[in-house]
Amino acid sequence: MKKRVVSAVLASALLVAAAGCGNNNNNSSSSGTTTTTTTAAPSNNSADTTTTTTKAEEKTDDAAAPAASGVSIATDTGKKLRIGCWNDEFQGFFEKYYLGTKELHEGQGDYYDKAPGLPEGVEIEWVTTPSEGGAYQTWLDTNLVKNASASADDKIDFFLAEADYITKYADSDYTLNISELGLTVPSTVYDYTVKAASDRNGNVKGGSFQCCPSTIIYRRSIAKDVLGTDDPAEVQSKLDSWDKFNSVAAQAKDKGYLMTGSFQETFRVFSNNATSPWVTDGQLTIPDAVNEWKDQAKMFLDNGYTLKSDVWGQEKTDQMYADGKVMCFFGPAWYFNFCMTNAMDPEKGCSGDWGICVGPQSHFWGGTWLLAATGTDNPGLVADIIKTFTENQDVLEQLIVVDGQVPNSTDLVAKYAADSTYGSDFLGGQNPLTLYNTMTSSIKWENHTAYDQICNEKFPEKMLDYFIGNCDEATALQNFYGLVNESYGNAVQTP
Amino acid sequence: MSSTTNTVPVKHKSISYAKWGYFFIAPFFVVYVACSLIPLFSTFYNAFFENYIDGLTQVGPNFVGFENFVTLFTPRPDGRLEIINYTGNTMIMWIMGAVPQIIFALLLAVIFTSDRMKIKGQPFFKTVIYMPNIIMAAAFAMLFFTLFSRVGPVNQMIQANGGEVFDFFNNKWSARGIIAFINFLMWFGNTTILLMAGIMGIDQSLFEAAAIDGAKSSQVFFKITIPLLMPIIIYVVITALIGGLQMFDVPQIISSGSGAPNNTTKTLVMSLNAYINGASKNYGMAGVISIYLFIITGVLSFIVFKFTEPKKGGKK
Amino acid sequence: MAGGKMDYFDKSNKASLTVSRVLSYIFLIFVTILSLFSFYLLIINATRSHAQMATGFELLPKENFINNFITVWNDRNLYFIPQGMLNSFIVAACTCILTTYFSAMTAYGICVYDFRAKKAVHKFIILVMMIPTQVSALGFINIVNNLNLTNTYWPLIIPGIAAPATYFYMKQYIDSTLPLEIVEAARVDGSNEFRTFNSICLPILKPAIAVQMIFAFVASWNNFFTPALVLDKKEMLTLPIMLSIVRSNLNSRTGDYGEVYMIIFLSIVPVVIVYLFLSKFIIGGVTLGSVKG
Repeated sequence: MKKRVVSAVLASALLVAAAGCGNNNNNSSSSGTTTTTTTAAPSNNSADTTTTTTKAEEKTDDAAAPAASGVSIATDTGKKLRIGCWNDEFQGFFEKYYLGTKELHEGQGDYYDKAPGLPEGVEIEWVTTPSEGGAYQTWLDTNLVKNASASADDKIDFFLAEADYITKYADSDYTLNISELGLTVPSTVYDYTVKAASDRNGNVKGGSFQCCPSTIIYRRSIAKDVLGTDDPAEVQSKLDSWDKFNSVAAQAKDKGYLMTGSFQETFRVFSNNATSPWVTDGQLTIPDAVNEWKDQAKMFLDNGYTLKSDVWGQEKTDQMYADGKVMCFFGPAWYFNFCMTNAMDPEKGCSGDWGICVGPQSHFWGGTWLLAATGTDNPGLVADIIKTFTENQDVLEQLIVVDGQVPNSTDLVAKYAADSTYGSDFLGGQNPLTLYNTMTSSIKWENHTAYDQICNEKFPEKMLDYFIGNCDEATALQNFYGLVNESYGNAVQTP
Repeated sequence: MSSTTNTVPVKHKSISYAKWGYFFIAPFFVVYVACSLIPLFSTFYNAFFENYIDGLTQVGPNFVGFENFVTLFTPRPDGRLEIINYTGNTMIMWIMGAVPQIIFALLLAVIFTSDRMKIKGQPFFKTVIYMPNIIMAAAFAMLFFTLFSRVGPVNQMIQANGGEVFDFFNNKWSARGIIAFINFLMWFGNTTILLMAGIMGIDQSLFEAAAIDGAKSSQVFFKITIPLLMPIIIYVVITALIGGLQMFDVPQIISSGSGAPNNTTKTLVMSLNAYINGASKNYGMAGVISIYLFIITGVLSFIVFKFTEPKKGGKK
Repeated sequence: MAGGKMDYFDKSNKASLTVSRVLSYIFLIFVTILSLFSFYLLIINATRSHAQMATGFELLPKENFINNFITVWNDRNLYFIPQGMLNSFIVAACTCILTTYFSAMTAYGICVYDFRAKKAVHKFIILVMMIPTQVSALGFINIVNNLNLTNTYWPLIIPGIAAPATYFYMKQYIDSTLPLEIVEAARVDGSNEFRTFNSICLPILKPAIAVQMIFAFVASWNNFFTPALVLDKKEMLTLPIMLSIVRSNLNSRTGDYGEVYMIIFLSIVPVVIVYLFLSKFIIGGVTLGSVKG
């Protein structure tokens, strides 16, 4: 088993390197598959697709069957499956495990044989709108509102949503109750993923394929130098409170290192543990935890423990190369594949020199949910897709062994957490799931509002002016409030 | 405008054809009314309504009179008035870019239109100066952002020479300077082409007369060229002014939309954009800002006209 | 011709003329470097991989031009890059033709005919020339939405017919170059008014049309604001929107600076070709002005 994971990580590192650099000669197979966006699945593959197609139809009928008793489900009439998304992360999983695109499985087993595939004649359209500047939500808002009356090919069938704004869509009439799709909540999913996708009355509107406990990702070599150990348990014991974290930051500085690569690095940890929401009854209040972060970030910048880079910035990701000076990054499992390409670089990277531990406070970060859009003309198909990615244990297991994700399955995570042969090469052999499994129970879905995204993204950004002395704290706060006013109008009052 | 007198001799002959004038201008007007004027008034109309989206719930439109205007001109609790700040930013960055833009363009136009200089390779130079205008503002902004970032080549050079890293985008003057420089770079060629056309259009007999009178070249420039170029200079200044007030993509990309540092590079249109394309699609506030922008443009254009008109009518 | 030409450079003083000439060359070379420097960097960057880009700037091209092109070609976030180029071309070409043709037509109408509203119309156009496009953007989107014109090119092309700034330029040009006697003569020959405009006036306006065509083409080709409001279907997108999609991926795994610069490269090349093709008219246009003078 371990060998398989190793090869999987290697393969994905290769794939990533190929996508990233484009100068790799053996990348033709991996990037060659991505030519078309609007793919009629059956035409995509060889003869075996037809059989999988029939399978899908049977499955769809299964999904629709229980509905006959209670809720009435409209039958699928749409010839186009239109999906809203902001990047291609899920699209990759979908093509691998639902369409069964063979090329994506190269060197990763033969799961494509089991993928259901699309019913004949149905085309997929991925509408990718960057989340930058809220463009994705703008697109959703405009199109969901007119979805019911849109022409068949223009109807959004389902869309993806992130933790920061899922509440806005789940708690609205523009998403379908999963019971209307004939689905029930699987017993294996994590509670918080259900809560996140529920409206205020407890109606569940969708599901997630992943679980996102987030940890410190530390450089083993630097930890050895600073703390004298790189063992996850021992490192954790030296970083298990913010006081300890801050004093280790000073030690790291003395040795010529940086504690974090961005002044925003710890923001998600604090904000995720906030005990009050950003907005209560239309009034914005900065949560205490966020204020604590503000003090820490100011102190970190003043003392040179971190960089002025933003959390996604190149200045920070450059520090993931072998010659980087940063000891700690924060992120969940998706962060490895998605943001740590530099660390995986075969030449300049330092794969294997990483370890993870919980850090001062347990938290989670991000996550992608699938929500069915009201007005979809493919409810059966959408139901089957949601079911596949939240309930089908085979697919979720692939997400662990092939993609290194933490799937939304308590059973699978527990199983691999206990598997001593499972380990990640990138993490120097550490089994990340063992740690994640201990954290999942503490993840709570609390204090979320529809206004979180801009607050979480813009507060740290606006505070930088204060941290580096461009203005005083009060001015920086007013700049932030001004931005909230611009973004939310009269719905949110600011001090 | 200098030669509108041309029309005078044919005036009486064209009377029977007058109605054709309406046919010729009709398409322009029909389209203008449909695509600009009606949208313009409907935008203004929006300013009197509360009209935004809270989450996915449409609020309004409810008639609120001048409430949105009051909101726009209500200072923040610390006494700062954002709209004035954004107006200032826009004007400052515009002037920082437009002044060198017009000076460069005038110099180039003068060099290119001089026969005595016998500049070799004129077609090459004339072709090249317009080229930056071809590059998208977004591409320019990205390029300069990478050039001047904390880990970019400019700072690498500074460090290699023993200097400290300079945070160009967290200092208001360097950030504004870079934005203004990009605007200058993009538009000076365009302005040169317009000015050259203007200089070439000047009646050459005036220069002959001046030469016979023994006028100095500086006299010729200030007493003949500049006054006669006034219509085209007004055109250039006004189009540059409109472009300046519309300044959006360069500062938006350079500051990732934040107007950093400390809102000193945030322009009026960036704010308008935040209302229109932001989470709440606040059409009421967007309408008010549009009216404000409209008035500012009007006032500034009026000032430009006022300042330049008397000279244009100039004697000598 | 040179004798009476306006000239600030004193012929009588050879020494000072030489100094002016040297200074002019220095200035022109400086301006040339300024103009081409960004082009050069953008093109060099299109030949470098994402990883190479992280090491700072280089002055010599690298070997990844083809690889970057393949990345763009295969990017599933984009529909298909040649389609994007075609879309941009369709929109820009239609817009620039409509803009120049109808502006010339409007200017001709104002210059040649003496109708009652003439002065008022001219003043009105000068006035509206100053209104920034963004000011009416809000109302414009509403109309586009209400007429179900999203994801069509009409809202991008049709407004080009009414371009006040282009009209203003054309008006100036017609005033100074079109002898009305020609129009008179055509009438005597029995030419219909529109035919006179198309077959007699337009050829005379060629230089002005070339200048404004290239301006309008570039403005439309590089426009992000309006297309971003109107288009969301992948197969309809224009290059600036495609660039923004790829740019917004920069922070993630699939982010690739090589790809971004390749799209920029691809968006520059066609315009440079159009420009170089039209530039002889632009330079020629200026010369023609002088001949006439």
